Amino acid sequence: MAATSELDRVTMIVLRHIRRPIFVLIIVYAIGITGMALIPGKDADGNVEYMSLFHAFYFFTYTATTTGFGEIPNAFTDTQRLWTIFCLYMGVISWLYTISSIWRLVQNPHFLLALNEHQFANTVKRIEHPFFIICGFGDTGSLLARGLSENWFGAVVLDTDPERIKALALRDYHVKMPGLCADPAIPKHLVDAGVEMDNCKAIVVLTMDEEVNLQISVMARFLNPDLPILCRSTSARHSEHLSTLGKVTVINPFEIFAQLLSMSITAPRLHNLNSSLVRTRGIKLGEPLDVPTGEWILCGYGRMGRWLHKYFVKNGIRPVIIDPDADEVAGATKIIHSHANLNSLREAGIEHCAGIVAGTDHDHDNLSILMSVRALRPGAFTIMRQNTHENQIAFDAANAGLILQSSLTTARRILKHLISPQIQILIDYLRDQGEEVTKQVVDQLKVAIGENQPHLWRSNICASEASAVIEHLNSESTLTLGELIRNPYDLSASLSCMVLAIQRDSLRIMLPTDDETLQLGDEILFCGTEHSESMLLATMNNAYTLDYLISGIDPPRGYVFSWLRAYLVSV
Amino acid sequence: MNLERVIFGFVIILALSFTYTFVMGDIDNPAHHNVWILTIAILVNLIATGLKLGDRSQVGALLLASSLVADVLLITARVVWIIAENETGSGPGTESMVNIVSLSGGALVASTVSIVILIGDTLISRR
Repeated sequence: MAATSELDRVTMIVLRHIRRPIFVLIIVYAIGITGMALIPGKDADGNVEYMSLFHAFYFFTYTATTTGFGEIPNAFTDTQRLWTIFCLYMGVISWLYTISSIWRLVQNPHFLLALNEHQFANTVKRIEHPFFIICGFGDTGSLLARGLSENWFGAVVLDTDPERIKALALRDYHVKMPGLCADPAIPKHLVDAGVEMDNCKAIVVLTMDEEVNLQISVMARFLNPDLPILCRSTSARHSEHLSTLGKVTVINPFEIFAQLLSMSITAPRLHNLNSSLVRTRGIKLGEPLDVPTGEWILCGYGRMGRWLHKYFVKNGIRPVIIDPDADEVAGATKIIHSHANLNSLREAGIEHCAGIVAGTDHDHDNLSILMSVRALRPGAFTIMRQNTHENQIAFDAANAGLILQSSLTTARRILKHLISPQIQILIDYLRDQGEEVTKQVVDQLKVAIGENQPHLWRSNICASEASAVIEHLNSESTLTLGELIRNPYDLSASLSCMVLAIQRDSLRIMLPTDDETLQLGDEILFCGTEHSESMLLATMNNAYTLDYLISGIDPPRGYVFSWLRAYLVSV
Repeated sequence: MNLERVIFGFVIILALSFTYTFVMGDIDNPAHHNVWILTIAILVNLIATGLKLGDRSQVGALLLASSLVADVLLITARVVWIIAENETGSGPGTESMVNIVSLSGGALVASTVSIVILIGDTLISRR
């Protein structure tokens, strides 16, 4: 049997369901019309006259639908009236029967499901811009969708929870985000979501079930061998399995969280740059957190705590661990087997510690740890872990040194990866280079964008995105970055943006200078204002503007003036 | 200031002005419309079209298109004039005059579009 599409299925269901009512209608109409045409009537002068078939149909139509225009064209005889009564009742009953069958069909949940799927598949098929597929619309998924929308990227959402899909429909995104309540592990639903489409740029798998995530990734890989997959996984076994699929980026929320936390302690400037690039609220570029090094206390040693501890040790900090269930930990100075309360905090040496991480997986525990720390040592730097997005207001009020929310950090990391994988590579590069290089980048960025929010975007030097640049490079002339980002209003200045990195085939150029020449196929990562993005886009696609930026002169455009200029020069 | 822009703007605005000069007056009164002005308007419009040739930008394409529309309409009006003159022996009658002037009115709209594009481009021009 050939595979049937969703469209065929819906049409089939409807046709099968209304087959009998249609038959009933046809038969009743046929009987009524034939009867009306056969029964003799009288015209105004009393002559016998038969109703024509067309008139009979006209009469029956308005009678069966209870419109009732009256006795047209002539007043009826009693026989006709008798037949009319029969027609009326039969017509009305058959119509009611038809309507009620359609009504029953419309209320059937399975039909609605099929219809929904059909509409969803159709909507996705019509998407023309690049989009991403998000499987799992929990905290991380919805934050990611919000972030994508702010960058004008579209997404298609799959989730098994109908409530979440209903919530999705009510969000006010800049771009359309179609959602379907369906199991993403079933390949048919992935196909409906557009996994095989060319403009599907990546699939992000974020359900809470590791096994399901793996299944979805495997299905997606088979359906589209080139599709980048970003998959949430916290277990080593699943991660290993995922990495064999190829082109898979494993998203481990705990590790991302731990990386960010350790970055805030060991590389505050980089943490500040990273936070402002992802537009964390309340962060100002160039004003890093003042995180002390020294003795640290880590409350909570679960899955997240393990990663935090690993990164602490990596950075030469050996924290005191407070957790009731912690077993032997290599590299910890002290383990206190207790819940974090006044006593255990005192035992851990809260009076002389530099900072404390409230990292349990219960928000109220973390908040109460904060209260205890306030009482015992108000000067300690506090890093809070926020578990659920709904507790945002309470955490805002807590006024801790740093609040990290796992779903948010994960969503931001994924978003960075989707905008350009180069962003994270650059951050890693800066971490290896040390704080001094970071400071230079931050200073340069501040000069470029001033007090504006930084905005990241990537441009490809290809015909569809930079036609003028391609034309210029093809005419065997060179183009440097400095010339490209020159300001068309003022040639001595640059647009408010800077180039962070260039990807040229397998070569990566980090923090290129203005003298760097562009080449065909370059993928450039920019950071600047939104306005400068549109200005740059205009430059890259308008040959006249680009020539003006390079040469500083505005050559004549029309044939007549070009000829005249050439003639005058030759004379 | 750029000499090319000056000449360019001059010719385009002149084309609009001449078209307007011809259209002005009662639509059906042959005494209000001069065949010389119509002919000059056609000439200036053709020159404007020539100056617009060769610009590869989007705006350039739109300018050229509107100019071509004006040319076509004005030349049609002139052809109608010639035919009408041939029939009557003197100038065109009331009926032909209405056709000629309304065709020129269409050209007036196209010229106006040209000017609007030109002004808009100058205003948002990046320098």
